[in-house]
Amino acid sequence: MSLIRTSRPSRTSSPSRKRRVEPVFYAFLLPTVLAFTLAITVPALMGITLSFTDSVGFGEFKFIGLTNYIAAFSDPAILKAYGFTIGFALVTVVLVNVVSFFLALGLTEKIRAKVALRAVFVLPMVISGIVIAYVFNFLFSNSLPDFATAIGLKPLETSMLANPDLAWLALVLVTAWQAVPATLLIYIAGILSIPADVYEAAALDGATAWRKLASITIPLAAGYIVINVIMGFKGFMNAYDVIVGLTGGGPGTSTTSVAMSIFNGFGSGDYSYQMANATIFFLIAIVIALLQLRATHGKTTF
Amino acid sequence: MVLAVQSSGQRRVSRRSFLLAAGALGAGFALDGCAPAQSSTAATEITFYVSKPEVIGYFDRVIEQFHKSQDAVRVVRDSTSSMSADFVRNQPPDLGCWNYNFAVAEFVKHGALSDLSDMAEAKSINPKLWPLVDQTAQYPGRTSAIPYSVMAASVIYNKDVFAKHGLSVPTTRSQLVKICQTLQDANIAPFYNTIKDTWTVGQGMFDYSVGGMVDVPRFFSALGSEGTSLNAGSAASFQKDFKAPMDRMLQLAAFANKDAASRGYADGNLAFAQGKAAMYMQGPWALNEIAKTAPALKLGTFPLPVTDDPADLKVRVNVDLALWIPEASRKKDAARQFLSFLMRPDINDKYNADNNGFGVRKDAPPASNPALAGMQKYYDDGAFYLGASQLIPASIPVSNYAQSIALGSAPDALLKTLDADWARLALRNV
Repeated sequence: MSLIRTSRPSRTSSPSRKRRVEPVFYAFLLPTVLAFTLAITVPALMGITLSFTDSVGFGEFKFIGLTNYIAAFSDPAILKAYGFTIGFALVTVVLVNVVSFFLALGLTEKIRAKVALRAVFVLPMVISGIVIAYVFNFLFSNSLPDFATAIGLKPLETSMLANPDLAWLALVLVTAWQAVPATLLIYIAGILSIPADVYEAAALDGATAWRKLASITIPLAAGYIVINVIMGFKGFMNAYDVIVGLTGGGPGTSTTSVAMSIFNGFGSGDYSYQMANATIFFLIAIVIALLQLRATHGKTTF
Repeated sequence: MVLAVQSSGQRRVSRRSFLLAAGALGAGFALDGCAPAQSSTAATEITFYVSKPEVIGYFDRVIEQFHKSQDAVRVVRDSTSSMSADFVRNQPPDLGCWNYNFAVAEFVKHGALSDLSDMAEAKSINPKLWPLVDQTAQYPGRTSAIPYSVMAASVIYNKDVFAKHGLSVPTTRSQLVKICQTLQDANIAPFYNTIKDTWTVGQGMFDYSVGGMVDVPRFFSALGSEGTSLNAGSAASFQKDFKAPMDRMLQLAAFANKDAASRGYADGNLAFAQGKAAMYMQGPWALNEIAKTAPALKLGTFPLPVTDDPADLKVRVNVDLALWIPEASRKKDAARQFLSFLMRPDINDKYNADNNGFGVRKDAPPASNPALAGMQKYYDDGAFYLGASQLIPASIPVSNYAQSIALGSAPDALLKTLDADWARLALRNV
């Protein structure tokens, strides 16, 4: 927070006094701008251009106008992938934020073994997504059905991953398990930055714990909630590795995400078509980001 | 030596190997890698891609042998999954040894692979195999790839379990169903199915059921001429022609391990090796995996009977490895030299014997693994088909659809989706 907060005054105050910005600041920006241009902007522009062609990724191609876009909008597989991805991202972002916020509340109180507990909760962050997916794949396919059979829980006796109606839930749970630590760390930092005297004053006025949470913690941590929700949503929209490792987009096509369908086009001769899909996905992501920024405008301190 | 002189100026470290070297081991290794370039030996260096990780050891030994046999060509073996990316960058390998399926199809169709028809090796190939190559992909007037190894897949069965229950290999559907009932009554799972891994469903029960009663090449050529107008009323359609095979597939799915929905390929190999089922719809690649757990297990193979006519019995094949040289290669002659070496009968036959492949040359010996003997007759007679799941473009997730059907979704709806997907694909590929 402190980093972000201090950036504001320096930006608003310095240009008004001084005309010229130290050239060294441009030098600081240069490596990132170069990397961004070469690794993101140029390929993105190439991809967008190719989406109007019939290219298979190499060799000759010709421009075919909007054909790919028209085909994409009438493709139930693509529409289904969007439906799944957006629904998945919404549920996951809510779950992750609720869980990590309350975990952060607990971990900032004066409880025993606080440091050890924090370390435990942050552990999933250092394991790669595909490894997590394979471990959970085993749990969902073997341990959970065995457990369900033992206690006589009928619906879970077959793997959740094999059930088209439940597979998405398994993905949400695993993705949340993996995503909670990063969110949790931001919340811990946010909650710790709230001045203690505010709470003292509230305590003197006889505020209940619930009242403190609703009137102090949540409003003062609002900026962190916004950051976590935006970053989380954006990240979950790109879900890929956990899904590949857990369901491979199945059963059937019930958990195929947009990122998966785009990537699959690369090796299957559907290159330009999936580039069109990627372009649509990009536009949707921009719209969502703008909506979120607008909705939260003025509620944040940065 | 002419070769070497021609290409000495073109010698360069590829971008990939450079990045790999620099990234993985630092400058020391990179310098090391460049060292031969500065030496005076004027050998041509070619890159050789192998798609199967499990056979890298074999090819490394062949490369060593090749280096000992001559000085003009040096082979650098690379195994990567980003072949498409290298074609996109116009830096494909000089020689590819790749699974001949949809992954290569686009390169063939767009003429990215050079013509090999003038090579003696192309003429030595069993002529029954060329239709398989052309069906996957072809470029007019070219021999774009030379088959190296063919895999034939069918039902693997546990000979001991069959013997214990007095069962013999079925040649008709009714016999198969009777066998299943006998086994089920004896509390043995007739089939071990691994529905969790979509590809096992696609290559197994789906392809076998289709190939056992549909004339696959004719069906797909009829489908191709339907194009965008494909629907239930067309002369050929998934809805019409695949309906019966799907019903038969479901009939067999009922004779399987109860937890099939949550089992994957590795689970299947283990369970089958432990004798938990009598039959397993997998290809020869599973034999080595099963042998890891039970090396002495007596296994046999037979084509899945889908109809009551033994004349319909066929095995599913795929061109597991084929050799090709990209047009973009600037060292085609050197690549051809290594290709000829790889195709030498002793080297080619040893590969197939070691890896449960079937021979590709007219004079190739029969498959050496006794477990494959049950398929030899069909292979020799040309009673084989390419799996339907491999002929449907990869952008249509047919194995996922097959998985849905195996898990209980109505086949009609999914076959209708298949028809619609096919028509849509034809629309944007006009």
